[in-house]
Formats: sequence, C-alpha cells, structure tokens
Amino acid sequence: MVEREGRYFLLNAELKKTALKEFYYAGKYLGNAKKGKFFPSFNLLAMLAETKANKVVVDEKTSWLFICGRDIFHEGIKSVHGSRRKGDITLVLNNFGECLGFGRILQDLSSKGTYIAIKNVSDLGDFLRRER
Amino acid sequence: MSNKDFFVDRYEKLGWTFRYVKPRQAIRINLTNADSKKIEDRLRTNGVFLQKIPFLENGFWVRRRKVSVGATAEYLLGFYSIQEAAAQIPATLFSDLRGNLVLDACAAPGGKTVQLADLMDNTGVVAALDVDNRRLTALANHLERCHVSNAVVYKHDARQASRLKLKFKRILLDVPCSGNFAADKDWFARRTMRDVERNAKVQKELLTGAVECLHEDGEIVYSTCSLEPEEDELNMDWAIRNLGLQIEEVNCYGQKGLTEVFGNKLDASVERCVRVWPGETQGFFVCKLKKRRN
Repeated sequence: MVEREGRYFLLNAELKKTALKEFYYAGKYLGNAKKGKFFPSFNLLAMLAETKANKVVVDEKTSWLFICGRDIFHEGIKSVHGSRRKGDITLVLNNFGECLGFGRILQDLSSKGTYIAIKNVSDLGDFLRRER
Repeated sequence: MSNKDFFVDRYEKLGWTFRYVKPRQAIRINLTNADSKKIEDRLRTNGVFLQKIPFLENGFWVRRRKVSVGATAEYLLGFYSIQEAAAQIPATLFSDLRGNLVLDACAAPGGKTVQLADLMDNTGVVAALDVDNRRLTALANHLERCHVSNAVVYKHDARQASRLKLKFKRILLDVPCSGNFAADKDWFARRTMRDVERNAKVQKELLTGAVECLHEDGEIVYSTCSLEPEEDELNMDWAIRNLGLQIEEVNCYGQKGLTEVFGNKLDASVERCVRVWPGETQGFFVCKLKKRRN
C-alpha cells in the first residue's frame, strides 16, 4: 500500500517495480484520509463486500434510489448480514450482490414498520456527481 | 469561400463527398468485470437495447434506450464504458498486450486506458500520461469506476516520455487533434488550417518522444479523430522518413490510407494506414508503426 498526499493506493508487485514516486494515481485506489478520517473508495468497498463486513441487500427500486443519493427505507431491505444495530456502518448491495455504496444504520434493523433505516453516506452515483 | 466550403472542398479533393452524419452511440463491455451476454440482458431489462458492432469484439451500438447509458448501475459498476465505435479500434491493433509494459501517451479521459487494461486482463503495467489536471481527475475516476488495477498515471508531457526512463513494448499514441465535424457540431465554425498545422506540429513532437522510449521490437499505434491529412497520412509519411519507423499492415474497419494528398505523392506504405470517413462512426485515422530493421 502506498500513500500520496492523503490518498491510498494498493500496488501489485509489477506496479511497485515500475511506478515512480511522483505518480498521480496507481493500482487500486483505496480511499483518502482527511483530518484524521479515512473515506473508502468504491474499489475498497467492493473488496470489503467479499468479506464478512456488515451488509444489507436491497430490492431493485431501492438500489436505484440509493445510487441517486437517497436514504433506504426499511421495506426496501431484502436481507441483513451482520450488524442490525443503530449507528453501525453497513455496505449496501443490490440483488446481484454488487456493492453500491455504504450507509449508517439509523434505527435498529429488527424494528418493524415504515421508517428510514439507513442513511446514505456514499453511493456509486458519486461518479456522476463528482465530475459536474 | 466559407470555412466550411474550404474544408468540404478539401475532402472532395481527397475523394470523399461531404454529407452530414450522426455517429451512432456505442459502448464497450469491460470483459474483466462483466460477461457480455449478462450485461446485454441486464441492460435490456432496463430498456437499453444493444446491437453488436460487426467490426469490434466487445463493442455494441446502442440501438434504442429508455434511460441514459451513462447513468445505469451497470455503467457505475464499471461493466461497460461509453466509447465511440471507431475510437475502440486502436487498442485492438497491438499484436499482444498481456503482461507487457504499455504506454498510453495522451491518456485522459481514459477510455482507451481502461480498454488497454481490459485487453491486458489487468496484467503487466499501463503507464498513462496527461498534463491537464481536470482531465487527470476524469482519468482517475474512470480507472476507479472500472476497477483497473494495473495502471499508473503521471502528470507528464508525453513529448518527454523518455524522462520516465522506461522502455515500452507497446505505445498508444492517440494524439490531441483537430477533431472532426461528425463529433462536434460547431467544428466548421471553430477550426482553421492554423489549428490543423499547430496540431500536426505537436503530433510530430509526440511521435518523436514516443520513438525515444519505444523498445527495439515494440509497436506504436498512432490515431487521431481528424480528417485532415496533415495530422494523418502526411505525419505518417514524415515519421517513416525521419524517425526510422515503418508502417505495419493492420486488419480493421476502414479504408486504405491516402498515398496522394493534394497532388503530393507519399510513400507507398502509407496505404497500410486506415482512414475512416464519418458515417455510422465519427471520422478516424489509425496506423501501426514499428522501428525499421536495417
């Protein structure tokens, strides 16, 4: 792993041999750190989705709304893997198991009823928003 | 004579009758991330209907769509890139890419860098250069979205690529150019011969820079989306006369390069270049070069 001005990159052996110090971007971008806080990239989120990290799988409509920047209603969640606890961070996956981003659990996911369950922290729609 | 009449007259002298065209929108599936058939099916469910482009392996025309192809989950997940059909040709002309050290000399916004990485199956290394900060950001976003893991990006002028002290087996030289009217509706109002000449000069400098860091048995693929022979065949004629390069035979969509331009005869091997006049695609020019063996 290599750090460049607060941005973190994962380099394979071949890149390590070739990449000069002053690169702008290299290998897999993992995320950036600002004021002591680390913010993960979508590459890293996709890698975490392969592990036992907290995850929720959401339905098709919810997937679309989520990547449009919206929070997640409890009814849109099809399954929960890992923590259901308020305040915890969870990855958000679509029907195909693909990671769309992550959010913070706003209310215990075992609660019944209609409520905003997960606050959107970061979603793939960011790729479109960041270049505006 | 208007600017438009001036250029249209040139095209007619080069053997093409001008007509307004609207190139079809095209995408390229990133096979490292997704299976073509699955993506076709998923997009169809979302109201995007694709049609295989006959002259490309992973390219598809967007036949009909109910949503923007630049805003689907599949796009954001890096399963495909929006890439004009003719622009998908250059990266496919290298004889082999896997495991090699490849240079994408004028890389941003990164469509072809991602395509190279895909063709390399994320093996070897693609060094991607550009000089403009905004374009570098676009390039980095493109690499992140498409989960490319074998690229290294430098803010570096490709004319000085040799300063990287690396010898590249493959160099993609998709040079900055004057563009063409099919990709820019204001093209005739904005472009003059002065632009063409200025671009042709920079392109010669880029070719010179590329040769300096090309491996002895390496390959350069040179491309432009310009229809102007000064940026295309004339530059290739200059390269084989001045840089010790030879033009290789390629097998791809398009017509043979021009060997006579406005009454001037060029080296016969310039015929091996490929010129694409606008139609279903935008206008394009592509050519493969190697160092001449003496």
